Amino acid sequence: MFKVHSIVNFPMLLKVMGWLLMIEAAFMIFPLIATIVYRETDFYAFLIATIITGVVGASMTTFIQPSRTDMAKREGFLLTAMIWVVFSVFGMIPFILSQTPFTISDAFFEAMSGFTTTGATILNSVEHLSHGLHLWRCLMQWIGGMGIILFTLAVIPMLNHSGGMQMFNAEVTGITHDKIRPRISQTAKGLWLIYFLLSILLCVLLWAGPMGFFDSMCHALSTMSTGGFSTKDASVGAWDSTYVKIIMTIFMFLGGVNFGLLFKACLGEFGSLFRNDTFRTYLKIIAIVFVLFVIAIVINGQAISISSVTIDPLFQIISTMTSSGYTVLNFENWGTFVLAIVFVLMFFGACAGSTSGGAKIDRLLYLLKNLRNEIHKCIHPNAIMSVRINDKIVPSEIVSKVIAFLCLYVLLIMAGGIILTAIGIPLVDAFFSAFSCISNTGLGAGVTGYGSSYDIIPDIGKWVLSFLMLIGRLELFTILILFSRSFWRK
Amino acid sequence: MKIVIAGAGEVGSHLAKLLSREEQDIILVDKDADKLATIDANYNLMTLRGSPTSFTALRNAGVEDCDLFIAVTPYETSNVTACAIAKKFGAKKTVARIDNYEFMVEQNRDFFTSLGVDYLIYPEYLAAQEIMTALERTWVRHWFELHNGEIILVGVKLRDNARLIGMQLKELANTQQTFHVSAIKRNHETIIPRGDDRIRINDILYFTVTRDHVNDLLEICGKKQYEIKKVLIMGGSRIAERLAALTGDKYKIKIIDNNLDVCKSLPERFPDSEIVYGDARDIEVLREEGIEDIDAFIALSESSEANILACLTAKEFGVNKTIAEVENIQFISEAEGLNIGTIINKKLLASSKIFQILLDADINSSKCLALADAEVAEMVVKPRSKITKGAVKDLNLSRDMTIAGLVRDGKGMLVRGNTVIQAGDHVVVFCLAGAIHKVEKLFN
Repeated sequence: MFKVHSIVNFPMLLKVMGWLLMIEAAFMIFPLIATIVYRETDFYAFLIATIITGVVGASMTTFIQPSRTDMAKREGFLLTAMIWVVFSVFGMIPFILSQTPFTISDAFFEAMSGFTTTGATILNSVEHLSHGLHLWRCLMQWIGGMGIILFTLAVIPMLNHSGGMQMFNAEVTGITHDKIRPRISQTAKGLWLIYFLLSILLCVLLWAGPMGFFDSMCHALSTMSTGGFSTKDASVGAWDSTYVKIIMTIFMFLGGVNFGLLFKACLGEFGSLFRNDTFRTYLKIIAIVFVLFVIAIVINGQAISISSVTIDPLFQIISTMTSSGYTVLNFENWGTFVLAIVFVLMFFGACAGSTSGGAKIDRLLYLLKNLRNEIHKCIHPNAIMSVRINDKIVPSEIVSKVIAFLCLYVLLIMAGGIILTAIGIPLVDAFFSAFSCISNTGLGAGVTGYGSSYDIIPDIGKWVLSFLMLIGRLELFTILILFSRSFWRK
Repeated sequence: MKIVIAGAGEVGSHLAKLLSREEQDIILVDKDADKLATIDANYNLMTLRGSPTSFTALRNAGVEDCDLFIAVTPYETSNVTACAIAKKFGAKKTVARIDNYEFMVEQNRDFFTSLGVDYLIYPEYLAAQEIMTALERTWVRHWFELHNGEIILVGVKLRDNARLIGMQLKELANTQQTFHVSAIKRNHETIIPRGDDRIRINDILYFTVTRDHVNDLLEICGKKQYEIKKVLIMGGSRIAERLAALTGDKYKIKIIDNNLDVCKSLPERFPDSEIVYGDARDIEVLREEGIEDIDAFIALSESSEANILACLTAKEFGVNKTIAEVENIQFISEAEGLNIGTIINKKLLASSKIFQILLDADINSSKCLALADAEVAEMVVKPRSKITKGAVKDLNLSRDMTIAGLVRDGKGMLVRGNTVIQAGDHVVVFCLAGAIHKVEKLFN
């Protein structure tokens, strides 16, 4: 252990973690208020959770006095990985203490599923939950959507140095991390501002429709973060409103766009949005898949109304792609072909730097362009070809990193699936659950006809899936590097 | 402040790293994505891939509202062009690095101003100036004048003959003190000394003195001022050319170069100097050229290693002052540990010059000199600031800073424990890297 201590600056790590916990405690105040407003007994659950989190955080910042304050690559990775776990650990307290107590495995699964915006749930029915718990579930997704670290970078000026940079790199999704402003705190502020404003707008728009204020707030939080928690068992279907579907489709779509691009677009640079290769591919995929879906729906005789060939498939496509995981009512009847396409959509997700999960379209683009070059080279071995994205040549190291990522991603799904089969889950469902969790989609296990929620999976399976969600959210390397020997050695 | 740096070469990246630790918005532009990648991932700044002379790239970098545009690509023409474009877009101040002395001439100033280049940096010229200073004061490692020379900062390396060795700083305080030991550089680390710190052999001491008492330091440090007459230069480089032009006939200069073609062209550039064809690392050659009688040996060849070695050889022959040009930044720290008098690095000189331009432009900052891991700031005391609340010794200043001297009514004086600082004083503060914000708090 001595060796470990000398290589990672733990005191500083814990101190920063203390600040982060105080932020989490501050977020817990919102559901606390909800329980007061609705006069619910879960008030005590949230009060205790807020106090515990706040006190632990405050004492960590006050009593730990690090001798040096520098934070390098290792601390960046470790802190980012740890904070997602620690947030889930403290975030599960309200679930355990609530009127409808969860077991520890269930609570941790639910919290991790929340923060990683997976949206998988162990509840067969959510409607009996208190308003406080509903808000907390959606709020967790909202925080996790843009990123815990990114939020911290925006509000804590102490992290505005290269240590903060490392944490930013470890958390933000994508292959390269474009900064929108020179300083890391400005970048974080810009991204969070866009995110915040879009969420408010969405909430207002939903409220203007058939939803009540509380439901529209919860759905705004979980839609913008492409999480997928709902306050109703029938999810969005409970309102049966085309208006709600259209609004949510638009905002899920926005949640799947790189927020850096959205930021630029808000500053009036719409050109940069449409010139971006990833964004264009995003649109193209939606268009092509939409046509395929409509054909499948018609063939299966499900084209019963106008909305069933227009907004329903579109809603489903975007919900799956952005890893939200909302489903429309009769989705199961559209046939297995649709389900197969859904797998592909889940695998790649939406744009990097967005709140969506999956391997990201950016990587798909690199992969396809590289594949095209390789095939061309079979006939023209001397041809010099390069992968070009946004008119810039991508260095071959990055291409190989992308391929390594994709291989690892598939391997992890395999490994996760195999472990789940070992604890007695049927083959297809085991792989589907692992896949659904690592891509942070959280489409219910019910889609494949196995149980109606993740409740049916044994406790060990829940921990495995929670771990997969974390790996998926932090894009594999941030977590896996902690298990490498070189991380802990000089 | 928003600063755009074009060119991620050694000067560009050094500056970018330096400035990113301050509260500055840095955007670094370069054509080479590889150079940018590591800096982008590890420093708190933004990088942009693109040609420094491309309109699109510069617009994307946002030069239209930048406070300072710095062009430090390897090519002077690109630098001037980039500055001209940036200025047209609306950059407030522009700096270009050049390699041509003609550009620096006063008559041509207006031409560059009309092009949109506000400052020109000519590293060879800066190096020549630095060598001049070193030749004039052979005993000094660093020499820095503050406030028109009212207060002078002197860095001296102590050898075994210095009287100060082994003394504690508080013992020094009892003697009639005409200097202030502000910082000590010991084994690659800078420390701000306290009363119970002892001075050791091979320390580099940074003294703050007033103009009248500079010469007192000679005696206590066991140093002698040598009169330099004969100078031997290894390598007929552009720095050598600038140096010859600067010094005029003050010194008798002899140049050794191991490239015959270069040697043949040298008499034209150095009309008053003696030119020798040969390898200055060769002891025979050195002896032949009378190394024993030489007062100063300056190694300015392209190879840093050769320069260091040649200086060490010259030292063995008893040359009093040796100066080596070391262009590999990573060698500098090691070279300082060796027995070489002064080390010249064009990139660091250029960066620190640009740093000063920047500070002149930024009224909020007053830092005037950045040493390896310490900073020197000149602060103007505002009325009712914390620092005026009592005698310096009662203020409980933090350990990573020290107040060295002050200028009151245009007169320089040292600061002692009993000194009470008044509003309007210009105070010279030493602090370790990162402590500058604490200093700023004290003065506002």
